[in-house]
Amino acid sequence: MSIIPDVLERLRALVFRAREERDMDEEIQFHLEMEAAQHRRSGLDDEEARRRGFVAFGGVERIKEDIRDARGTRLVEDTAGDVRWSLRTLRRSPRFAIVAVLTLAIGIGGTTAVFSAVDAVLLQPLPYAQPGQLVRLYQYFANKADSRTFVTGPHFRAYQQQLASLAAVAAINTYGETGADIDGPDGTERIRLLPITASYFDVLRARPAMGHAFEPRDEDGAPLVILSHALWEREFAGDPTAIGRTLTMDGVPHTIAGVMPAGFTDPIAGAVDAWVPIDLGPSQDLGPDNHFLTVLARLTPGTPLTRAQAELDALGMSLAKLYPDAKNTRAVLVPLKDDVVGPSSRALELMLGAVGLVLLLVCVNIANLMLVRGSERAREFALRSALGAARVRLVRQLLIESLTLSLAGAIVGLVVAAIAMKLLVVLGAGSIPRLATLSLDPRVLTFSLVVATASALVFGVAPARRAASAQPADVLREYGHATTGGAQGRLRSGLVVSQVALAFVLLAGAGVLLASLARLRDVPLGIQNAHVLTFDLNLPSARYDSTARARFYEEFARSVEHIPGVRAAGGVSKLPATGTFNTWGNYALTGPLAGTSRPQWVDAEERVVSGDYFRALGIPVLEGRTFDAHDDAHAPRRVVVSRSFAERLFPGIDPLGQRLNVAGEFDAEVIGVVADVAVDPEGEEAPYVYHAHAQFAGDRNWALTQVVSTAGPADALESDVRRALAALDPQLVMYHPHTLDDVIGQGSAQRLFTLRVLMAFAAVALGLAALGLFGVLSYTVKLRSREIGIRMALGAEGGAIRGMVLRQGLTLTALGVIIGLVGAFASSRLLASLVFHVSPLDPRVLSAAAALMVIVAALAAYLPARRATRLDPRMVLQGE
Amino acid sequence: MSADRSDLLQGTLEMLVLKTLALEPMHGWGISQRIQQLSRDVFLVPQGSLYPALQRMKRKGWIRSEWRTTENNRRARYYELTAAGRRQLDVERSTWARTSAAVNWILDARLAGATT
Repeated sequence: MSIIPDVLERLRALVFRAREERDMDEEIQFHLEMEAAQHRRSGLDDEEARRRGFVAFGGVERIKEDIRDARGTRLVEDTAGDVRWSLRTLRRSPRFAIVAVLTLAIGIGGTTAVFSAVDAVLLQPLPYAQPGQLVRLYQYFANKADSRTFVTGPHFRAYQQQLASLAAVAAINTYGETGADIDGPDGTERIRLLPITASYFDVLRARPAMGHAFEPRDEDGAPLVILSHALWEREFAGDPTAIGRTLTMDGVPHTIAGVMPAGFTDPIAGAVDAWVPIDLGPSQDLGPDNHFLTVLARLTPGTPLTRAQAELDALGMSLAKLYPDAKNTRAVLVPLKDDVVGPSSRALELMLGAVGLVLLLVCVNIANLMLVRGSERAREFALRSALGAARVRLVRQLLIESLTLSLAGAIVGLVVAAIAMKLLVVLGAGSIPRLATLSLDPRVLTFSLVVATASALVFGVAPARRAASAQPADVLREYGHATTGGAQGRLRSGLVVSQVALAFVLLAGAGVLLASLARLRDVPLGIQNAHVLTFDLNLPSARYDSTARARFYEEFARSVEHIPGVRAAGGVSKLPATGTFNTWGNYALTGPLAGTSRPQWVDAEERVVSGDYFRALGIPVLEGRTFDAHDDAHAPRRVVVSRSFAERLFPGIDPLGQRLNVAGEFDAEVIGVVADVAVDPEGEEAPYVYHAHAQFAGDRNWALTQVVSTAGPADALESDVRRALAALDPQLVMYHPHTLDDVIGQGSAQRLFTLRVLMAFAAVALGLAALGLFGVLSYTVKLRSREIGIRMALGAEGGAIRGMVLRQGLTLTALGVIIGLVGAFASSRLLASLVFHVSPLDPRVLSAAAALMVIVAALAAYLPARRATRLDPRMVLQGE
Repeated sequence: MSADRSDLLQGTLEMLVLKTLALEPMHGWGISQRIQQLSRDVFLVPQGSLYPALQRMKRKGWIRSEWRTTENNRRARYYELTAAGRRQLDVERSTWARTSAAVNWILDARLAGATT
């Protein structure tokens, strides 16, 4: 017997069900008539013949049922009937249906979105061939274990040539000009450049889709460029003949060597517009203490990281002998994915934990809803059971009702997930890497469906089994007489307590992050960061030599200061509170630390400034003066130093007029002392040494970040500044204009992202907990309506009744908060790395969270309490 | 119901229906009449089992049905054997032969000493 005709016949029977029924009726009718006709022929009268026919045939309806069973479509038809039935009953109680579906949708949607994010950021491998072999190489100083720094030129070459366990080693110029101006269709525009070694393509195992890669001999800054697919389409309309043509960048013609495949991005820098050969030629400072290269490498296939690290350590020892100046320099290999994802993994783990709690809350809420609904319908089921409905059938109907609910929840949940994922991408942009690749993939879809189905089965089975095993007579007798019912009431109360506890944990977590962010905002940075506009301004080396650059930045600052409302304008090589940059060693030539045989180096953040930088950022001058027009390339080198630097290098003496050596390269005189500023957004202070751009322009093209302080809103200034720039040189680009607040705020973007997500979860949790409390109390009031009615008939005050219900609600809440405190303790370790200057168990935060919880709980309890006092005793007592 | 009629043996209904239809296509009523008649009135087909059995056999692909008019100009659902049904008849026939032979051996058995 083949299965195909069987299935076809069943399908046919299902599709043409109406015709099948008609045919069956007609066939039986025919049979009965033939039977009757036969009896007539044997001489019976018409009616008797007909009767005999029926008798011979047996029970028509029972036989019809047998035939229907034989069609093999019974299960499907009954299920369809059950689905229709459950849709009907759900429509009869829309409030329950909406609450249940939305609750499920939030749980499923939230889980799906967060799970997708975790998948995209943490679980998905990097989009390169054999990504597990990719590593990043950091250097660090043996005397400062956690000092991760960039790699020097000679070290890089040694790693590249002498390590068998690294198949390829590539360097990217971290401090190079990361942008270039090109002539776009809408005038000059700035593009993002990555200066790389030829080995870059071997490390990432990526080749240009067209044209060719760079050669090692190009690594002296050869005028070649490889375009990103996007830039090629934008600037050359995807014309294949662009290969070999020239692209003028910063006034220098570069030959287009190739075009990368669409979608190729740098693992660290992300989407860049073009790649150019790095310049490691003789004109560069390739000293063993100039750390300026980002180094990526690929392990030789089959080599474990530990063996590569051992080989690197051994090489490090011989390099220390070779370069005595850098004898403390060590190197460490980090899996590239950990390096890219590392800092954000904590935030995502926290989100995963939070969404897990929300999902748990959703489950508890659904369980509670189902239990309450099950109890309300106990009478209906008892009645049907008494009337002979099969218990299996009742259980199945309830199961199908739950399944219908969860499927509806899953569908709405997917919509929620889609919206939530869009939000995550927007919120996390810039702070969480790889989030842009977030998409809802089929596995996550399956995951959410499994969650939905599992929840349906779990929550459907409980009330269904209870309904099936209940003694109809008991249920029918007890209905309306119940007081707060024993085991079930305790179960529901327990569920509410756990909801409050879960919500409290989330509230406390969000509260701690909020407090830490507030603290972060109040942290003194040593600058006036309000009302400051910043943007990058690159002066192309082809058109501006060092003298022209020095002149231009000063001239531009003065012309901007003419704009009404502008207080001061200047430029700096790296804004304060945005991280460390150009950390160089200095030693004293005069004062108590001078003259020793081995100079005592003091590391400082070296900054190049132009215009009226200190006044623009409100950095107070404590002693001496800042730079002026006399401090130019012809004058002796002078520096302004921060107070903490002065105290360390010239302890106990007046720093003015003292002399120091910078980076072993040149000597300079201290002409002024300014107040300390923070090096990162968390307010950490570091010693600073400031150089005048006019004196230091010859060293490199600094592409200074401009700062303009104003009395009014900073962003309103943008168009005026743009006009001032165009008046001086219309070909220059005002790149990335932002307010200083925004720029510094980006440092805490990851915290902000986590906070927002956690706050959303906490709000949902609070809502769910309130809903759960409301549901249970309402049900209790309904169950106790008789008792309440009697009390009121006996003269109980409305306030006393209200108090009774409120007390019940608040007792449950208090229990939940106490259990939640335990949960907060348990989760504090996870939060610890994300909080700033706040204990994850800060008593003020915890009590605020508890207070909020109690207030919301009191509101949720108030409505049922009020309803209790509005009960009319006569109605209640009669209504049995 | 007279005493000389007996119920169909469990499981034989489908085989008898197949055989009946192997003779000629027939409607349900006709099948029951034909079985009764061919069994010389020994078997009375239980109507309640016939139609569900026909439905099952159709699902198994042994028979197919078609609405035709009878000689008396009445519309009736006729069933006819498919190729699969014909093969099934052969299978059932040989199974039946084996079963009935075995039953006969038992019934004909005499106590002849436990030689085996």
